[in-house]
Amino acid sequence: MSQTSSADHFARPFNGPGTGPPVPSSVPGGSEAESSQGDPGGRGSPAIHALGLHKRYGKTVAVASLSMSVGRGEVFGFLGPNGAGKTTVVKMLLGLVRPSGGEAMVLGAPIGDRETRRRIGYLPELFRFQPWLNAAEVLALHCRLLELPKRSWDQAVADSLRVSGLTDRSGDKVGGFSKGMQQRLGLGVALLGDPELVVLDEPTSALDPVGRHDMRQIIRGLRTRGKTVFLNTHLLAEAEQVCDRVAVLDKGVAIATGTLAELLGQHGRVRVKLGTVDGSCTKILSKFGAWQRDGDWIILERIENDSIPDLVAAIIGGGGRVEAVIPEHQSLEDRFLELLDER
Amino acid sequence: MTFRILTIASLTIREAARRRLVAALAAITVVMVGLSAWGFERLSHSHSLTSGESNLAVPQALILFMFMFSFVVALSASAMASPAVASEVESGVLLTVGARPIRRSEILVGKWLGLAVLLAGYAIAVSALEMGVVDAVSGYLPPSPVLITVFLFSEGLLLLTLALLLSTRLSSLAAGVIGIALFGAAWLAGVVGSLGSTFNINAMRTIGSVSRYVLPTDGLWHGAIYHLEPTSMMAERLSEGRNADPFFVHTGPSWYYLLWVSAWFVIVLVGSVISFERREL
Repeated sequence: MSQTSSADHFARPFNGPGTGPPVPSSVPGGSEAESSQGDPGGRGSPAIHALGLHKRYGKTVAVASLSMSVGRGEVFGFLGPNGAGKTTVVKMLLGLVRPSGGEAMVLGAPIGDRETRRRIGYLPELFRFQPWLNAAEVLALHCRLLELPKRSWDQAVADSLRVSGLTDRSGDKVGGFSKGMQQRLGLGVALLGDPELVVLDEPTSALDPVGRHDMRQIIRGLRTRGKTVFLNTHLLAEAEQVCDRVAVLDKGVAIATGTLAELLGQHGRVRVKLGTVDGSCTKILSKFGAWQRDGDWIILERIENDSIPDLVAAIIGGGGRVEAVIPEHQSLEDRFLELLDER
Repeated sequence: MTFRILTIASLTIREAARRRLVAALAAITVVMVGLSAWGFERLSHSHSLTSGESNLAVPQALILFMFMFSFVVALSASAMASPAVASEVESGVLLTVGARPIRRSEILVGKWLGLAVLLAGYAIAVSALEMGVVDAVSGYLPPSPVLITVFLFSEGLLLLTLALLLSTRLSSLAAGVIGIALFGAAWLAGVVGSLGSTFNINAMRTIGSVSRYVLPTDGLWHGAIYHLEPTSMMAERLSEGRNADPFFVHTGPSWYYLLWVSAWFVIVLVGSVISFERREL
C-alpha cells in the first residue's frame, strides 16, 4: 500500500465487471448448507443477521446469545477488548467454528454455506500463508480456490498486488515477508473476486501509519462501491473514522449496538461561559441537569444535544448573558470505557 | 469437486518439492542404493561362498535392504502426513483456505492424494533402483517386483493415512511420534506372533494376529517379503522349520486379509474426514 499505493483503485470493481463467477441459487448434492432458494444470492436480506448466536468451550462461554444485523453496504465495526469473543464470532460467521447455539445468516444463506463463501473476502487476525509460495502464487492459489475464470487470474493477481502494495515483491517467497507485508498480502487475498462482504479481523495490527491510512481509504472505497465491510477491531479511533454502525462486545455479550451517534448518545457535555451566575441562572441551569463550576465556565454533564439551544434561550430569557457555548462530544473511546465500566 | 481436490493435491506435491523433501529423499536413496550395489557385488562374487550359498544369501540380503527401505518409506509417510493438517491449523494457514468455497473433505482428500502420489513415486523409484541394481550386479531379480513395490507402497500409505487422521486432532509432533511408535509396535507384535506360532504359545500368536488387523503394516510387509523370496529359499527355510524368522514368511496375505486392509483404508480415511470436519479452525 505504501509502495505502489492504490487505495483509490477501489473506486472501481476489483476484477472488472463480469469476471466473477456466476453464483448459483443452489447447488444440489453438497454436504454443507447451500444457498437459499427464491432469492438468488440473498441480496434482499441483511449482509449478516445473527440471532442468539452462542459459543461455549467447555465451561467457558466465549459468545453469549449474540443477536445483531448488518445491512448491505454498511461498514460495521465490531468492537471489544481483547478476549471479548470478537474473533470467535467472525469464525462462526465464516463457518470455521461451529456455534453451540443460535443461528445466523450471511448474505442470505445459513452460515457455512459453501457457495456463499465465494462472495466473502476474509482477512484473518492470524494472517499466515504458505511460506514456500511467492506472493503472486498465493494469490493465484486463491483464484483457483474461488474458481475464478482462468483468463481473469493474471489481472486479478496484478490488481491485488497493486492494492496491497506488493507489486515489486510479487516473486518473493512469503516466508521472507515482514508481518506488515503478510497482512497486506492478506488484504489482497481478501479482496480477490470482488466480494460482496469483506470481513477484516484486526486489519491494521501489523501496519505502519501509512498502511493504516491506506486501509481506511480502501474501506471507504469499498463502501462507495456498495460493499459491506465487517471490521473487527479494538482500535476505537479506527472504527470511529470509518464505521457507519458499531457493536460493542464484552465477555461474549453485546453490550451496545447502533450508529456512532446512537452509541455516543444524545447526551453530551457542554461548557457554557456566562456573564454572571446569579440565583435565577442557577435555577435555569438545574432544569437542564447536573452542573458544576470550572473557573469562569459552567459545565453541564449529560445534556441532550438538542437541548443546548433551549438552554441558551432560557438563560437569555432569564436575563442572563451567554458569552460562549462549547459542546464537547464524547469520543468512542470514552463511551467504550464507560460501557465497560457500567458492566 | 475433483478440481478442488486436485488443487490441494498439487499444492501438497509442490510443497514437498519446494521444501526440498523430494531432493533430500532422492539424495539419501542414491547413497543407500550405491552402498547396497557395492555390497551385493562383493556378496555375489565372494570366493568364500558356494554358488548355492550365494543364491540364498543374495535374496536374504535383498530382504534386509528392502526392510530398511520399507522403514524409510514408513518414516517418510509419517513425517509428511503428521504436519499436513496440524501445522496448517496451528499456523493459521488453513483459515484463509477454509474460508473459501471448498469442503473440508476436499482439503483432506486432496492432501491425502498429494502425499500418496509422492509416496508412490518414492516407493516405485526406490524399489526399481534397488532391485535393478541387485539384478545388474548379481543377476538376481525377485519373482514379483511389481507386487513387492505395491506392498511397500501400501505399507507406507497405511501409515500415511493413520498419521493424517492423527494430524486432524493432535500436534504435528505428537501425530508423527505416535505414527512411528505404532509402526514399530506393529512390527514387534508381528515378531511376537511368529514366535508364538513357532513355540505354539496361543497368547503370543493372538497378539500377532490382532495387531495385523488393528494396524496392518506388518501384514503388508509380510506380503512384500513373500514376493521377495525365491522358491529355493522358501523350500530351504521350510525344511529347516524356521518360522520364527521375522524376515521369512511361507504364505502371502490372503484375499480376505487384503479386503480387510482395503476396508481399513476406507474406515481411517472417512474417520479423518469426519474428524477434520468437526475440527474448529
